[in-house]
Amino acid sequence: MSHRTAQLMWVVIALLLGVLVVAQFQTQHLTSKARVSASSADQSVILSSLVEANASLRTEVDTLRVQLSRFQGVGSSGRLEALVEELNRLKIVNGQVEVSGPGIEVRISGPLSALHAQDLVNELRNAGAEAVALNGERLVLWSAIAVDDEGWLMVDGVRVASPYVFEAIGDGETLDTALTRSGGLIAVLEHSYEGLQVEISYRGKLVLPVHRHPPEFHYISLGE
Amino acid sequence: MGARLSDRHRTFSWLLVALVFGLLLSLQINSPPAPAPSADGRDRAGATIRRLEEEQEALKARIGELRQELAVYQQETAATTELLEELSAELNHQKALAGLVAAEGPGVVVTLDDSQRQAIPSGQDPSAYIVHEYDLRDVVNLLWMAGAEGISVNEERVVGTTSIYCVGSTVMVNDTRLSPPYIVRTIGDPNKLEDLMRNPSYLAEVKEKARHNGLTFKFHRATDVRLPAYQGSIALQYAQPGQ
Repeated sequence: MSHRTAQLMWVVIALLLGVLVVAQFQTQHLTSKARVSASSADQSVILSSLVEANASLRTEVDTLRVQLSRFQGVGSSGRLEALVEELNRLKIVNGQVEVSGPGIEVRISGPLSALHAQDLVNELRNAGAEAVALNGERLVLWSAIAVDDEGWLMVDGVRVASPYVFEAIGDGETLDTALTRSGGLIAVLEHSYEGLQVEISYRGKLVLPVHRHPPEFHYISLGE
Repeated sequence: MGARLSDRHRTFSWLLVALVFGLLLSLQINSPPAPAPSADGRDRAGATIRRLEEEQEALKARIGELRQELAVYQQETAATTELLEELSAELNHQKALAGLVAAEGPGVVVTLDDSQRQAIPSGQDPSAYIVHEYDLRDVVNLLWMAGAEGISVNEERVVGTTSIYCVGSTVMVNDTRLSPPYIVRTIGDPNKLEDLMRNPSYLAEVKEKARHNGLTFKFHRATDVRLPAYQGSIALQYAQPGQ
């Protein structure tokens, strides 16, 4: 073997080594990076909820713009109308008026814990429910569901008993799917309580009552 | 003699090189296959999430501006007649109830955070060491029961349409991603709020996880709790007032 051939071989080996070191480093870099980011399944759920949320934010911007343009236009009747409309919208949200619209009724026969009842209301709201009632008690922002000393389910201090009837105004199909998807809340409930019966029915028109316990502000002072 | 030593030296070098080479080769083969395309996909999804969150941020700011601008007109209009004045007072009251107005007052601040323990004993459920969305729901529900007049979780005001849910280990409130620690601020009677928080009949699961798994769960009263205004949507598509 001549001296020159030997030198060449050394160069080739050094080169190969270098390539391998780099490849090794890159592999480790990629795998560690993949570990820290959220799973792609989670990411796609986050993505779709963001897309939906932004669409609804844009609707809100449009609604507010229309209201503004009414005020900016001439004539006081438009302004009065805009005020009343906004007032009605807020009264619905706050449960201060009777409210009607399409939606679903979820009838649950059997035991139900306060936590599961809260979960169900949360799931309905997450699926876009605009108004919810449980056994004729309208549920609003400040509603609390708890169990009293004797084990009764209480909605804002009022006892409710099985069958528990949740009424929710909103898009029936979206509400239904949110509850009944595989691994969804209804599946969890049926797994948690033996013999629990759940019936979901679509309603063309639900009428939900006024919330009976409007709060009074004693401690809050308002900013602008 | 000199030539033989140099030969032996060379052989040794060759061996060393071969060894390192072999070592690296095997490391390379044993490395889990790099998930190059899906990592790319994740990066792209991550970038889209960030872009959407920026857009969300901008839309919320715009809604805040529009609501303020609108409030000015509403006040001006109200000043013109008595009927409108009444209407406007009612409107302001409903806005405050709905959480559309920033607020301050005395109350209680609750902090929840994942356990900082490094090692989870074998056979234990790791999910018992983190704060779940249902823990937050339980706290919020209890605060309402204690007569809370307003609640926020981190920077999100809790309103009638608020849902608190999770995606994987990410908690979302008002469709906004939150990360721990979760600070639940509430305005109301500090005595009543604290009493119910302490009551052993409530928040049993959270308290249990705090006691045994090192989850952070603490609360203190505060004289000046500040709640941000809700800046999200309250669009109604299906609900109509009255029958």
